[in-house]
Amino acid sequence: MEPSGSVATQPRPPPPLVMVNAINKRFGGVRALRDVNLEVRAGEVHALLGENGAGKSTLIKILSGVHAYDGGAIEIAGQPVAFDSPAKSREAGIAVVYQDLSLVESLSVADNLLLGREPLGRFGFVRKRELMAQASAFLTQLGIPLDIKAPVGSLPFAYRQMTEIAKALMGEVRLLILDEPTSSLTSDEVRILFDAIGKVTRRGVGVIYVTHRLNEVFEISQRVTVLRDGANAGTFVTADTDMRRLVNAIVGSDRLAPATVRAEAQTTRSIDPSPVLSLSNVSNDRLREVDLSVLRGEIHGLAGLIGSGRTEILETVFGLRPVESGTFEIDGRRWLPKSPADAIDHGIALVPEDRHVQGLVLDHSIERNVTLSRLPYFSRWGWMQQGAAVRRAETAIGKLAVKAQGASSLVRTLSGGNQQKVVFGKWNDPRPRVLLLDEPTVGVDVGAREEIYGVIRHAVRDGTGVLVVSSDLVELIELCDRISVIIDGRVVRTLVRGEIDDAEELHHLLQLLQASGQSASKDALQELPA
Amino acid sequence: MTELTAPNVVASPTASDRRRKLLQNLLRGERPYMLYIAFVILLVVFSLSSPWFLSVDNFLNIGRQTTLVSIIAVGMTFVIIARQIDLSVASTLALSGMAAALAMSQINNSWVVGAVAGLGTGALVGLLNGILTTQLSIPSFLVTLGTLSMARGLAMMVTNTKPVIITNETYFAIFGEGTFLGMPVPIAWTLAAMIVGILLLHYNVFGRRIYAVGGNPTAALYSGINTKWVTTAAFVLTGTLAGLAALVLSARSHAARPDVVQGMELDVIAAVILGGCSLFGGRGYILGTLFGSLIIGTLNNGLVLLGVSSPMQLVIKGAIIVAAVAFTKR
Repeated sequence: MEPSGSVATQPRPPPPLVMVNAINKRFGGVRALRDVNLEVRAGEVHALLGENGAGKSTLIKILSGVHAYDGGAIEIAGQPVAFDSPAKSREAGIAVVYQDLSLVESLSVADNLLLGREPLGRFGFVRKRELMAQASAFLTQLGIPLDIKAPVGSLPFAYRQMTEIAKALMGEVRLLILDEPTSSLTSDEVRILFDAIGKVTRRGVGVIYVTHRLNEVFEISQRVTVLRDGANAGTFVTADTDMRRLVNAIVGSDRLAPATVRAEAQTTRSIDPSPVLSLSNVSNDRLREVDLSVLRGEIHGLAGLIGSGRTEILETVFGLRPVESGTFEIDGRRWLPKSPADAIDHGIALVPEDRHVQGLVLDHSIERNVTLSRLPYFSRWGWMQQGAAVRRAETAIGKLAVKAQGASSLVRTLSGGNQQKVVFGKWNDPRPRVLLLDEPTVGVDVGAREEIYGVIRHAVRDGTGVLVVSSDLVELIELCDRISVIIDGRVVRTLVRGEIDDAEELHHLLQLLQASGQSASKDALQELPA
Repeated sequence: MTELTAPNVVASPTASDRRRKLLQNLLRGERPYMLYIAFVILLVVFSLSSPWFLSVDNFLNIGRQTTLVSIIAVGMTFVIIARQIDLSVASTLALSGMAAALAMSQINNSWVVGAVAGLGTGALVGLLNGILTTQLSIPSFLVTLGTLSMARGLAMMVTNTKPVIITNETYFAIFGEGTFLGMPVPIAWTLAAMIVGILLLHYNVFGRRIYAVGGNPTAALYSGINTKWVTTAAFVLTGTLAGLAALVLSARSHAARPDVVQGMELDVIAAVILGGCSLFGGRGYILGTLFGSLIIGTLNNGLVLLGVSSPMQLVIKGAIIVAAVAFTKR
């Protein structure tokens, strides 16, 4: 797309509302955006697609003035602009609604809308009646049906989101950016939201709509831009494209795992076919009739989007979430997880998603952290056997190759990869029957990642069953004997190694399963390229 | 378990190392020696400025005056390391003292009955604090603010604010006026509480759990620790020690009074914080608490000897506490 401002004399269509020309952005050594272009017209809903890490968030943050960019240019209505703060972006008429809402829950809708710009009377008192009138007039004009007196905290999520959108539209707004607005809405609420978006675009506002849900793209957008690995992967007119082409653009064809890694992964192991853990028909607030089994010596992966219920499956098994119905068996015996302590007693271990919050006491030593989950093994009659505890920590440091000065080093001083190894060290000995792993290599450098894979494979050789959640599909393909796809708290499909053997196919399958809703999984698989 | 300890003997080069390290840990906690330096400076200043300060009698005096704070501060150390606070300790002491004295006057004038009643009442208040905090998820600041008021009110209600006289000589000897290994018993009880505290906090699994719960409650839960039980136990320990302090006080004054030690919770908390505990949890040690308590006791004593007016004493004490905490915090 060529910059079009140069020829001024010729009569042309009005310049697009927003032009992003060849934007570049680096974070340290990482190129987050490479020559990215985006054009949004007035009154248009422009969908922005891409996987996690494709660059959508970075682009949005540049448009909203949170990040500076390294090269390229942004024009609004033909005028070049430069944002060095969110306030500048806001002045230029760009408003962003993030996933995490920024409302004061205890205040009413009207108070929230006019927060910081309340009509004031003499002596600085708020003129309540005028405030109500302004808010009410504004919402009527937008056509958004909200009770202005209701405290925001009492509203259903969709209405809070509309309050947020309405708030974003206060003042002169020309471009509205919605970042995954439907991720926590019910289908009825989505309807309400789409109506509101329609009303906004009719006033000439341009909308950038970021989403993971492809079906919504076809429902609401006029055009689509896909980002992949920080670069443009195509801009489409929605009416002229289809889901397959979008999925291809999102996934790309160069996402194969490096050949060396894959070769190593293919070593065959014999798996004892008896399940060490099985769930049947397990339901609770986030899970729906989950059927799942982990065999002795098996690595079983859980794939799905963030929020699909993958983590919740692990949490339920670990006794962190109450079970409403369904049965669990561990080594063939019926059991109901009651608490983490109970789960640990039954030989279950969890390496949680957020090691800083859930996995480690950062201000304590490696020794204290490693022994925390196994204190009974290092005590007699309740009295600590300090020597045994230190030896155990030193063994763990040696076995897992933790780079630290010693067992008394504070965990806070270690790198991400080494911290994660300490979390693994908590469960090293005795070997758990079932090892639950939630994003085991997030924030871990490549070398440490390979070492962690080694630890996982070693555990499996000793007969542990592993249930692993990962958003890194290459990782799942590399590690897992079976992969279950989770959508909306349900196991939609379970794949056996060999059925799908590269990450690209898995990407396709996930996207198609996600797009086509919960049920049509078989058809989706048949549509895949061979 | 035996095979775990057997090879220990072979690993002797590290064993002495470890012992030294443990001693270091015990002495200095997180902040090297700052506390002891402050204490020594205080001693030097008072010794130079008052001829009566530097004497065995006066030190015994300081020891006796700080016993109540020191004993309770041991429990408070557990509570604060576990990221909680207990404001009710002074009222608990008053209520426990009344319970001990009344129980003795009702049942055989037996010192055992008195002791059990006093310690039991303290433990019960602690249990209530713990259960309300953990089961109803009310911040312990609010729970214990409530029990502070309730326990004091109950202590006053049982006798309509009148003191209860104690006449049991054995009780006086054991808790207030006797000597043990040449020490006045109040000091012996303080040492006993310290030793139990050191053992529990630094050598027992319970201590590990306390540190973990305070350092990161979520990680502790994910490691299979019953965080509610551990937190409740810390409150029970503190309540029980407030009960012990009540026995010491009532044995010394031959009576239990419902209006004693009002506001002492602040001295206790100040001692623990001075001693190096973090109000954000996960950090602290018993010996630090002892010195924190001694610093406060020495300040009280030295300022009196210097003839500083009591309003001025309050101002100086407060300023020194703030300065010390500002100085020792990370």
